[in-house]
Amino acid sequence: MRRTLFWLRWSGRDLRSRWLQVAAIALIVAIGTGMSAALGSVSVWRRDSYDASYALLNAHDVRISLPAGSSLPAGALEDAMRELEERGVVTTAEERLILPTQVDASSGGRTILVPGVLIGIDLGAGGPRLDGIDVTRGRGLRPMDAALPGAALLEAHFADHYALPSAGTILLAGGTPMRYVGAGYTPEYFMVTTPAGGFLAESSFAAVFAPIEIARSIAGSSVSNDLVVRLAPGTGRRAAAADIVEAVRAAAPGIAITVTPIDDDPAYRGLYGDLENDQRTMNSIAYLIFAAAVFAAFNLTSRIVEARRREIGIGMALGQRTSAIATRPLLMGLEIGLLGAVFGIGVGLLIDEGMRSVFASLQPLPVWQTAFQPSTFARAAAIGAVLPLLAAVWPVWRAVRVRPVDAIRTGHLAAKGGRLAPVLQRVTAGRRSLRLMPLRNVLRSPRRTILTAIGIGAAITAMVGVIGLLDTYDATIDRGADEVARGAAGRIEVSLSTLQPVEGPTLGAIAGAEGVEAVQPSLRLAGRLGEAAAAFDVVLETLDLDGAVWHPTIEGRVDPAGATGIVLARKAAEDLGLTPGDLVRVSHPIVAPGDETFRRAATEMRVIGLHPYPMRNFAFLDTSDADAFGLAGAMNAVHVDPAPGADADTITRAVFTLSGVASVQPADATIEILRDLVSVFVDLLRVVEIFVLILALLIAFNAASITVDERAREHATMSAFGVRTRRILAGITAEGLVIGLAGTVIGVVLGRLAVGWLVSGAGEELPDLELFVTVSMSTIATAFLLGVIAVGLAPLLTARRLVRMDVPSTLRVME
Amino acid sequence: MASASTIITGGPRHPGHREGAATMVLLEGVSKRYELGGVGVTALDEIDLEVDEGEFVVVLGPSGSGKTTLLNVVGSLDAPTSGRVIVAGRSIGDAARGTLTEFRRTTVSFIFQSFNLFPSLTALENVQFGVDIAGARDIDARQVLSDVGLIERLDHFPHELSGGEQQRVAIARALATGNPIMLADEPTGELDFRTGVQILDLLRRQAEAGKTVLVVTHNREISRIADRVVELSSGRKASDGPPKGGRARVEELHW
Repeated sequence: MRRTLFWLRWSGRDLRSRWLQVAAIALIVAIGTGMSAALGSVSVWRRDSYDASYALLNAHDVRISLPAGSSLPAGALEDAMRELEERGVVTTAEERLILPTQVDASSGGRTILVPGVLIGIDLGAGGPRLDGIDVTRGRGLRPMDAALPGAALLEAHFADHYALPSAGTILLAGGTPMRYVGAGYTPEYFMVTTPAGGFLAESSFAAVFAPIEIARSIAGSSVSNDLVVRLAPGTGRRAAAADIVEAVRAAAPGIAITVTPIDDDPAYRGLYGDLENDQRTMNSIAYLIFAAAVFAAFNLTSRIVEARRREIGIGMALGQRTSAIATRPLLMGLEIGLLGAVFGIGVGLLIDEGMRSVFASLQPLPVWQTAFQPSTFARAAAIGAVLPLLAAVWPVWRAVRVRPVDAIRTGHLAAKGGRLAPVLQRVTAGRRSLRLMPLRNVLRSPRRTILTAIGIGAAITAMVGVIGLLDTYDATIDRGADEVARGAAGRIEVSLSTLQPVEGPTLGAIAGAEGVEAVQPSLRLAGRLGEAAAAFDVVLETLDLDGAVWHPTIEGRVDPAGATGIVLARKAAEDLGLTPGDLVRVSHPIVAPGDETFRRAATEMRVIGLHPYPMRNFAFLDTSDADAFGLAGAMNAVHVDPAPGADADTITRAVFTLSGVASVQPADATIEILRDLVSVFVDLLRVVEIFVLILALLIAFNAASITVDERAREHATMSAFGVRTRRILAGITAEGLVIGLAGTVIGVVLGRLAVGWLVSGAGEELPDLELFVTVSMSTIATAFLLGVIAVGLAPLLTARRLVRMDVPSTLRVME
Repeated sequence: MASASTIITGGPRHPGHREGAATMVLLEGVSKRYELGGVGVTALDEIDLEVDEGEFVVVLGPSGSGKTTLLNVVGSLDAPTSGRVIVAGRSIGDAARGTLTEFRRTTVSFIFQSFNLFPSLTALENVQFGVDIAGARDIDARQVLSDVGLIERLDHFPHELSGGEQQRVAIARALATGNPIMLADEPTGELDFRTGVQILDLLRRQAEAGKTVLVVTHNREISRIADRVVELSSGRKASDGPPKGGRARVEELHW
């Protein structure tokens, strides 16, 4: 016991004597483990938060919807559930009345006109009992609001997107005013989707909640068309859905109903669906940062222990056993590792909090849980704690292999340059000795130089990897924006609620609306490209491929050679292994002549070119090929070229009120959707970026600090010869700059490779997106700024130690 | 480098003072005390010392007698607790850090027991370092290295040289500064007898050439070649005078 305490005390003193470097290495380990644990916990956090949020608001298990225009008398749907309630299948069933509408939330000279729904909810008996609303602004709806004219609550994504006040007035279709009293989140809109299935549509879709009595009053009859159901615990949703269908059919024979288990709810799928895929990217980033941290910790610990080789030699000279010689440095390594693990808990908690705020702003939910995950952390901490220990093994092993007399001599420690000695002699730098030293020092100890450069390079790699991933997202979005911005400036896209003849009045009305310069009809249909498992959904847009208002860029255009021609996204062609001229199987709707209903059909179309838009889900056909759908001369969308000087609000207001118009949006709104799609990564990476920068600085500082220790005697000699401290510092800085430059070059090269690796992982999570691997000049500049300048300047942090150096004592080191 | 006008020519005289010789080192009542592990230690106790230009003085004493502290105070690496230190006419006892740095650059040159050569510089470059930092443009580093017998070893790194060769490079580096005072701390401590004698001969010749040389050693034999021997004991000056039995030639030494 006494012996153990002796060793602990001794190694404790070792730590104290280099406490700053030890603390810095521990912090490096801490950032590696903390970051790794935090990024490794993302999917757990998200799942826990989703579960808690759905549970908090009593989300339904199954939803029953009647088709548009259909309804049942109030109470009929709930009555249909009675038997299932008695059988213990259903615990709660609540009717709603959902009315499609248009929402005009314009205020303060700003036009906000979007399609939406009015959702009548039952506020009786403390309702809604299912799909509650987490009110974030203003107040919630109360039962007494049913008696007020037009009391309502806004869905918070929409309200927040347009920064609407907490209370105000909006207009529904037909000019019906609604006084909203607040805004809140509800499970169905945890992620906003449009009826067409698009995600992140808060800018173009509004859900408005109102007491069901008010909704019925607007509808003009006491009816319901929607039912949400909560099943008894342990009841299978799919099986129960079948029972529910039968029960509703029995109560309302002849009415088509849609039963949707919550697993098929678009928002639910959107939230839960990508959890594991997202986690893969996070893990990749975590591995990268962790690798950088542990490599740096390994290198720095190794150098600290190596500085004690002389003491190891003394132990050998005194006849100490190898195991006893190794005990002290190994204990030191272990203690550094453990310290790093302890610090890691703090860093981990800090990162957890940072992540929580990112998630909360990005995906607002009633509950966000980013609890510290001990098991995930423990895995990372175990490696983080063991590596410094291993780092101590190496120099000990090297030291005990030499003869004691050599280990004792500090002269032996001075690296000799080995076979590089002839090279060193050629490095002359004008023969000015002080100028020579930094470069010579770098070359004379190649192993140390390489290890230090790689340590710095590891941090730069992680930084370039993370920021490069952001660059890649930015570049991808910019390419999309460039394509969207082609043609008319400020282009507006108008969606029509139904198919319309191009020669009909609608196109003319839009063309004649205030602020409209030119129009170009288009037909958008949902289709699928490819076959079997490789197939994916696509929007087939038929328009004039040489249209003046807008047309896609077409690369490698070929003649369709009698077939229907289609322009695919480069990503789509790559995924399907196609090039221009090839045939592709397209599954699409078709209207047979004389029929008004759609059927599905599959057509072999010729790829007549590729467009550079980064999303593969857009394909274009020429108007002359609309026959392929049986829809020649039909349109359901219009590209609008604004007149010079006309603003988007004027056109929106003028066009939105026209009959048959479903939505009016600037064309670049799709870019915003693209940005939203990747924002979950971007914002998280911003948090990661901060810690990577700190990591790189810590490595730089520690490397410089250890160098100052290693060269203490040389610096003391210079001081004895009257060399100014700033001149000595300049030499250390120059040495740091050279190593920093080497490390940065290594880091940028490896970082670029890391971006490619990360993008390949991210590509699996965003299969629809063509990611353009990019490392921007600003990222490279930042890397050089950090790697060269920060590393070069890090020695300045050691200036105080130099100034306060005890020159006589340092010079008096005996050999 | 100290100009002639700043060198003291008056003041207290010491045994063996040569008429007309300027005083290069003057210590009056110099004490140095410090705390070591909570215990007060007096390294130098009221030391008076005067060394002339071109004089070869050996400071002799056992370990802990204060001889290295004395050398450090003269070389401005350490400051006295009390007393006056004038070197080459400049009072350095309480001078500012910058002044002392400049003083070391232009007035004194150190030779260490453990050589303290720069491992990344060749022999020639180590000597050139002395030229560079002192700004002694008129001194040819190659010639200086040749003077100490190392013309064959110009491009060798320190680890490629023997201990004696390394110490000769260190002396050459000190000479290359052109500074008038050389301070040597146990310059033969790491060397065998034969090599040690060569080094002492080199130092002796510097004094004969006009440099003021202060050698600190515990080896009484070395003191035989000095112009003067200052013996220290427990921080006090125990004796000051020519070597007993008169000055010996280098080749007469043996230990």
